Amino acid sequence: MVRFIVRRLIGMVIVLFVVSVLVFLIFNVIPNSPPAQRLAGKNATPTLVKSIEEEWGFDESLPEQYVTMMKKVFTNELISYSPRVSVEDRIKEGIPATLSLAIGAGLIWLFWGMVLGYIAAVRAGGWLDKFLTGFAIAGVSIPVFLIGPVLIYFLTYKIELLPNAGYVPLTEDPWGWFKHLILPWTTIAILSIGFYSRVLRSNMLDSMNEDYVRTARAKGLSERQVMLRHVLRNSLIPIITLFGLDFGATIAGTALITETIFSYEGVGYYAAESIAKLELPPIMGVTLYGAFFVVAINACVDIAYAYLDPRVRLGTSAA
Amino acid sequence: MTIDPQPEAVPVAGGPGAAFPAAPEGVSPDRSPWYLAYKRFVRNRLAVSFLGLFVLIVIFVLAAPIWADNVAHTGPNESHTLQKLRVGDEVREVVTPEGRPIGPQWFEAGGKFFLGADSRLGRDEMVRLMYGGRTSLFIGVVSGLITTLVAVVLGLLAGYYRGWVDAVIARILDVLWSLPVLLFGIALGVSLAVSGLQIGPLTIEGGSNWIPIFVISIFTVPYVARPIRGEVLALGEKEFVEAAVAQGAGPLRVMFGEILPNLASTIIVFFTLNIANNMLFEAALSFLGAGVQPPNSSWGTMISVGEELLTTQPLLAIIPGVMIMLTVLSLNIVGDGLRDALDPRSKVRLEAHAGMVEPEGASV
Amino acid sequence: MKKIVLTFLVVALAAVGVIGLSSCGGSGNDTTGGGSSSGSGTTAEGGESEGEEGGILKATYASFPDYMDPQLSYTAEGWTAMGEVYIPLLTYKHASGAEGAEVVPGLAKELPKISNGEKTYTLFLRPGLKYSDGKPVKASDFLYAVERMFKVNSGGSVFYTSIVGAEQFAKTKQGGIPGIKTNDKTGEIQITLVEPRGTFENELALMFVAPVPQGTPNEDLSANPPPGTGPYMLVNVKPGQGWEYERNPEWAKANSKAMPEYPTGHIDGAEVDVIRNPQTQVNDIEQGKYDWMQNPVPAARYTEVKDKYEGSQFIVRDTISTYYFWMKTDRAPFDDQKVREAVNYAVDPAALERIYSGQLKGTQQILPPGMPGYSKFELYPHDMAKAKELIKEANPSDMNITVWTDTESPNNEAGEYYDGVLKELGFNTTLKIINADNYFTVIGNQSTPDLDTGWSDWFQDYPHPNDFFQPLLAGESILQTNNGNFANFDNPAFNKEISKLRAEQLGPEQESAYESMDEEIMKEAPWAPYGTRTLDTFVADNIELESIIYSPTFFEYLTSFEFKE
Repeated sequence: MVRFIVRRLIGMVIVLFVVSVLVFLIFNVIPNSPPAQRLAGKNATPTLVKSIEEEWGFDESLPEQYVTMMKKVFTNELISYSPRVSVEDRIKEGIPATLSLAIGAGLIWLFWGMVLGYIAAVRAGGWLDKFLTGFAIAGVSIPVFLIGPVLIYFLTYKIELLPNAGYVPLTEDPWGWFKHLILPWTTIAILSIGFYSRVLRSNMLDSMNEDYVRTARAKGLSERQVMLRHVLRNSLIPIITLFGLDFGATIAGTALITETIFSYEGVGYYAAESIAKLELPPIMGVTLYGAFFVVAINACVDIAYAYLDPRVRLGTSAA
Repeated sequence: MTIDPQPEAVPVAGGPGAAFPAAPEGVSPDRSPWYLAYKRFVRNRLAVSFLGLFVLIVIFVLAAPIWADNVAHTGPNESHTLQKLRVGDEVREVVTPEGRPIGPQWFEAGGKFFLGADSRLGRDEMVRLMYGGRTSLFIGVVSGLITTLVAVVLGLLAGYYRGWVDAVIARILDVLWSLPVLLFGIALGVSLAVSGLQIGPLTIEGGSNWIPIFVISIFTVPYVARPIRGEVLALGEKEFVEAAVAQGAGPLRVMFGEILPNLASTIIVFFTLNIANNMLFEAALSFLGAGVQPPNSSWGTMISVGEELLTTQPLLAIIPGVMIMLTVLSLNIVGDGLRDALDPRSKVRLEAHAGMVEPEGASV
Repeated sequence: MKKIVLTFLVVALAAVGVIGLSSCGGSGNDTTGGGSSSGSGTTAEGGESEGEEGGILKATYASFPDYMDPQLSYTAEGWTAMGEVYIPLLTYKHASGAEGAEVVPGLAKELPKISNGEKTYTLFLRPGLKYSDGKPVKASDFLYAVERMFKVNSGGSVFYTSIVGAEQFAKTKQGGIPGIKTNDKTGEIQITLVEPRGTFENELALMFVAPVPQGTPNEDLSANPPPGTGPYMLVNVKPGQGWEYERNPEWAKANSKAMPEYPTGHIDGAEVDVIRNPQTQVNDIEQGKYDWMQNPVPAARYTEVKDKYEGSQFIVRDTISTYYFWMKTDRAPFDDQKVREAVNYAVDPAALERIYSGQLKGTQQILPPGMPGYSKFELYPHDMAKAKELIKEANPSDMNITVWTDTESPNNEAGEYYDGVLKELGFNTTLKIINADNYFTVIGNQSTPDLDTGWSDWFQDYPHPNDFFQPLLAGESILQTNNGNFANFDNPAFNKEISKLRAEQLGPEQESAYESMDEEIMKEAPWAPYGTRTLDTFVADNIELESIIYSPTFFEYLTSFEFKE
């Protein structure tokens, strides 16, 4: 078990290293706009450009620049080119917003997915079951940037029910925080509620035919107790692993699009902005942060799973 | 539906014939497995209807030149900012002096500006929708082909040779799979859009549609390659493979002659779902400016343009979005149906999940 | 069967419903932009500044200035934000329009005495001036500021390299600048130039050379700006997010007495927040959450806001800017004058006005209206037939061209329009759209392949025609990187004229010389200019709209804001 964890951690480090190298290469090897020229501005002289190159170290060799940049990442000195602000500070400021968005949406889709999935499993074949199937596949097929604008149009413009952009910190104004988050939460949750309910439903239906369930019924437990205590519990395990993966993917991807649509200033918004500007320091910062989240959550999920799966925990199979 | 709990374990189709269980009623079990699968598929009315929808969509976008030439009398990139339309007694401006584009005319102007004008450039939205669809579908299908091809090759190599070949390929796939795909996709797309791509003798211009195809293909390979690798690994243990090797068949014969045909059903299903996934990915990239570059348009870029005018002409954003949704939906349902028809016992469940095809189990 | 029907119904209903609901009445008859307006809307008639003194202004910018540092900032945001915090030796008259183009004394007692063949400028610092931290302002602080500007690699360096020794200092950052001599006892500042330069007074009025206390670190101080001399001072600067203004205590105590003509300002201070979404800003102003937005109203809301608030909370402002398409004159096909003339005939400013939603006034000249030296002429009335004829006559060998533009709307649409026009003329075009932050770097780099023609704009640095001709059309401005003369236009006769006029002080003779140069250069048509941009001022209903002064260089003056009674 310990070996397993250690191996996963080493894997994490390797992935982060590869990510950092790839990002660095993408923005240095692909010719686009050299930052020194960009900083020099619209009325520059060659002397100015050269001075800027020296000031920022753009005249060093690529490996040297990479090492310098990585050092800055670890000492919290990563600064974007223009405006000259600390990347890590901006990311830290954006994290509460992004986490509010991702965790909230995640809980919503998990909760509703479970509730609806449970009902659908219990009343398999009923109209809810069929509706959920349709809803699930539809949810998975709709692009986020269709739902978002549709919600914005109808609920903030046609009917001025909710604000259409921005983030209000929870500590500042809880009701405002909530109001600003409803639409982004809905946008993200719609994609997954149907899917998760279907996953739970089929897990439960499969479990319901297992031997241990028949035993429980034979023992005299009520149908409800059987469902809750045995079937549901066992069906949840794969859901947790799925949720872990999806949550990581949300932070690293879906949140970015949603934040852009709603002008919601979290890390995803900052990422989209920086990428559009081809600014390497923030991109490096945000990508490492995103990759870290994804990899860390995957590792946690794997470790949790390995723990729950007695075969791995007892070391009887190579993971 | 189950997510198989064991990491890496992939229950899979066995040797020839074993994949397909009992034939559907009314069909003799002596028929070929493909015929049985076909029959099963046809009985799935949901899948068949959505296949029909998909075909309709394809016809719709293929008909673009016909509509453009005969009904709308304009190309997708022609701007008509100063033009006026004569509708009955009324004269309408395609773009008002304040920059408001005209709304849907439906058939009032003889089909011109059926869905209105897009933005202040006054281009025909309907024509752009059709041509944009061609781009979206083209990119989705071509990148699907490339991804599937590369994934199959990698999976075959890894699963057949095992050992260090497998280790290297598996590690590469793992790393690619762990990358925040959207972030990298955007970063790569934006950079390459400016500079173009040069690999050896092959040069791709910055604004070409091949850039997004390239970017999408790279990042979706792991989602297809890992399951295929798993299947090949499992297949490799089967007797018929051993038999072929014992008979002196070389690696190519075994890989392409024995293993590949057994992957066929998986490949077909994956390919279909992959196209859906790629279309969503392309739309996301184009929406953020990292995919298809103007003046080329795709449904994704049209949503991006429409979003600016959301409060005045919401249709400009909504209609391309609905088209994407219908196409992806159809592909997902058809893919589901194919999987049911080809391999109904399979525990491998996959769906294009808003940009991420589900891996079976969780592992790196 | 039921499953299919149900799925189909759900999907179809949703799709139809969405389309149906949004196509009824969605075409913008709703003038409620979103947000309940506070229902007042009555304004003081006549607009005399009967406003009350005091109050804290709540302002919003869509982006944080490039730098919050007087020696470094080179954007409208920065100049508007700091224009009245750091007063240079000279400044501009606090008036809107053409009046605001006049250079008047700032920290200096009077306009400079020019001598020594128009190469030496002598000024005297007013006595008794103090920075907001209480330190007295010394004449040598000016020299310190100029050296600091070079040391931090400011984009404004180009304006001051004509000072004796400055060029060398820019390269080595050592040895001081011999061309500036100061005397702290008498307050005398003497600047000697390498050659006469008629624009220098304007350049002395830019914030780049506003004095700062000696010892101010030679690095970007955006997070903690140096103390200034103006009526307001910056506090609580959070780069990327916002900042505040408070009254400068030294202004009331000392500086306002030393500079009586400079306005003191009505408000007690301001809080500025960066809100990146312009739509949100418009909503906030309508609802009164913020009092003023610095950036212009976005095109999507422009008509609506203009219709509803013009005269009461909204006013359209002319700027001194030219929007144009440049053509590389040193390579095919644009090395042929006929081709360039054809392009000018083909581009139709009227169409572009619509593409800019009316925020553009069509013009096909280098200098925009409002700039001294402007006088209207019309060389190329829109005539597509004539344009095509000219192309036929010219019969260019290379019909494959690449058209460049940036992502910022509506410039990207202008670029797409231009692309369409060129296609109509028969060219085989490729359009490249580059992100706005990188655009000028990319097209300014001569080694970028396929730079044939593309979009650009130019807003004045100061109201002197040389600011348009020299950086954009003079041979000496053609650089390998950070090029500003995108047309690579290098005509020796014009180069000579530009240098000659630059050396002279601007008067009626020079203005008419600039007028003719404008027309003569347009005959050669290195550009196809198409318009000048209008911006706007949009305030909440508790602000006196009429009293706001809109400077051609600094835009809205903070000292001119006042609340209504």
